[in-house]
Amino acid sequence: MAGRTFKPSETVDFVVVGSGAAGGVIARELSQAGFSVVVLEQGPRLGPGDFEHDELKYSYLSGITCDPKLSPQTFREDASQVARRPALGNSLVYARIVGGSSAHFTGNFWRFHENDFNERSLLGPIAGTGFADWPISYQELEPYYTKVEWDVGVSGLADASPFDPPRTKGYPMPPLPVKSSGALLEKGARKLGLHAFPAPMAIASQFYRGRPGCAHCGFCIGFGCEVMAKSTTLYTMIPEAEATGRCEIRSHSYVHQVALDKQGRATGVHYFDQHARDQFQKAKAVVLAANGAETPRLLLNSTSARFPQGLGNSSGAVGKYLMFNQSSQVHAQFEHELNEYKSVQVTRILHDFYDADPKRGFYGGGGIDARMGPQPVGWALTSGGELPRWGAEYKQRLEGFARSMVATGHCTSLAMETNNVTIDPDLKDAWGIPALRVTYKDHPDDFATAKFLQDRALEIMQAAGAQKTWRGGRRVSRGSVHLLGTCRMGNDPKSSVVDKYHRAHDVRNLFICDGSSFVTSGRGQPTETIQALAFRAADHIGQFAKRNEI
Amino acid sequence: MNSSDQPGDISRRSFLLTSGELLSAAWVAAQWPSIAAAAHHAEQADVAAGAEAAPRLQFFSAADAVDVAAVCQQIVPSGATAGAREAHAIYFIDRSLSSYFSALAPDYRAGLEEFQGRFRSGSKIASFGAASSEEQIAFLSTVDQTPFFESTRMLTVLGMLASPKYGGNYLGAGWKMLGFADQHAFAPPFGYYDREYTGFVPYPAKP
Repeated sequence: MAGRTFKPSETVDFVVVGSGAAGGVIARELSQAGFSVVVLEQGPRLGPGDFEHDELKYSYLSGITCDPKLSPQTFREDASQVARRPALGNSLVYARIVGGSSAHFTGNFWRFHENDFNERSLLGPIAGTGFADWPISYQELEPYYTKVEWDVGVSGLADASPFDPPRTKGYPMPPLPVKSSGALLEKGARKLGLHAFPAPMAIASQFYRGRPGCAHCGFCIGFGCEVMAKSTTLYTMIPEAEATGRCEIRSHSYVHQVALDKQGRATGVHYFDQHARDQFQKAKAVVLAANGAETPRLLLNSTSARFPQGLGNSSGAVGKYLMFNQSSQVHAQFEHELNEYKSVQVTRILHDFYDADPKRGFYGGGGIDARMGPQPVGWALTSGGELPRWGAEYKQRLEGFARSMVATGHCTSLAMETNNVTIDPDLKDAWGIPALRVTYKDHPDDFATAKFLQDRALEIMQAAGAQKTWRGGRRVSRGSVHLLGTCRMGNDPKSSVVDKYHRAHDVRNLFICDGSSFVTSGRGQPTETIQALAFRAADHIGQFAKRNEI
Repeated sequence: MNSSDQPGDISRRSFLLTSGELLSAAWVAAQWPSIAAAAHHAEQADVAAGAEAAPRLQFFSAADAVDVAAVCQQIVPSGATAGAREAHAIYFIDRSLSSYFSALAPDYRAGLEEFQGRFRSGSKIASFGAASSEEQIAFLSTVDQTPFFESTRMLTVLGMLASPKYGGNYLGAGWKMLGFADQHAFAPPFGYYDREYTGFVPYPAKP
């Protein structure tokens, strides 16, 4: 699997920080375009044989995510509070292995709709928020969504949803087999005149580009795939990048600073290798794709006389406008067994409530999906809502596991300057690098959207014939796996960090592309858009390099 | 620790003696190995290994283990299906607090002492573990919002449903109770409702 290797002292065309959903795509695209690329990934490289069905390890002991003992974070609701370390785990969760969070994602691959990109123009301003249009349109991104679906590998049924945005090509693989939860969501939705459809998933439903179809083991969310059916960059983009002979994936390489020369150009990155030795990789250009938490942290920690507030941060927007995606749950129990623990999380979704509607009295919209919910431990601990949490009744609910499902609402979160990633003034990580501090408080409209979708999900589950339904608790955000908006793109260098081609406004040879580029949150499933942006960014970055415009 | 809680303290010993409660903490502590072995033996009548295989406690004293095991058992009681006792949740908790959850251990121990003290101050019975099920439930209803209870609830569920290699979920008892099968492959149909699903019918037109 190993491709070419480079010495840190060799000046490569591009050093890419992060090997996840965006970094893997950019590495593959730039190396296939003829450039030399080194990808630095802070975690190890694991393969299918390394992944386990071990809920304690993966969900409670940071199996493949950042270990809070080594990489701690602090959290507060607003700037008046002193941020504290959470008792268990970190607020912002991402996989720390080659493939990044694409290795442990669920695989829900929804395209954004056209109005996600110009909602501010359609709806007007929202006071107290950074609600804004994107500098690009859906039409500009559409070819790259198609590239994601075909090159990375997405299973689905084109045009099955009446609300789907226009597309130039169908999916390369048929949808995964429907589960009982999907059949029930569709049954309830059809009774109510709604339009549930086969979920597009970044999981192979059949043999595709050298990878087998899903074995339906049920361990997707938060887990690595044992059979390589999950379309993570670990199994798709990265081997193809290495096959060019121009790309090295260097694991155990934790980047902590981007270096600048006197002219204000990036010269490479400082990183700690596996033995905590400080190394420096030289490069003609730097691409940050370290996710919406680590990318702004790296910039804020890369201070200099020219950039005392952090690299690329003349706007002051680095780290700001963090968005998580609110959500809500309805639990339902049926007469017969569903056995939701088998196969992928989601097989049916609906987008009837995707658009924001001012008549509702709040901003927001989203989708509803049918899913198993967390693995057994997580399900037993969190799926009760207001029901008894211990004793005979609790036990009875646990015994209904195989007859239960969850209908989840996936929502917008409004961009707010006060929700952000900053550097903790006191705390450092195990390498001595200042730690990440999260400040986050949900906007009231985010809760209103979640409640609205919960009401609809409840109606659908009742229409589907559930014997018993109950609401999940209100989820006050204390963290997320969706890390969006912290280096937002825009045309104005005074209010955004990168331009429409992902070039930092402040540094000509620095590019930033991952969840941090988002201007709005979408409706809860960001990864296909992260990857479409990455394909588009790589396309433009490659053209700039060929024209000597970097 | 209050001086009256010291082992050997006259007033406490007097209380235990005068309360007439035979199943005192001290008695339980002395008897723990045989209690554990008997429980272990009872739960795996089909396992030839028998009594000597009872795990050794690493974090809890025997008396504490009895109290915590009783809390676990009220969180997930036994019945037609396994509860915390059959899943050996207490061994999982003991092992976890002395290893990978050791960061939680100081708070947990302090919470347990507070729990025990609060129980003793309101009961004639020497320890929570020795109380009747009804009294245990009544007392737990007054403390089920405390961090100690929350932690015990989390650890009990982990002890029932995490991989058996961590010392709980004995012989997959928790998974059997839940109706979960840990396999590396399944084939459709997965459940009742997808078996009867007849196929996706396209929607006629954009609404």
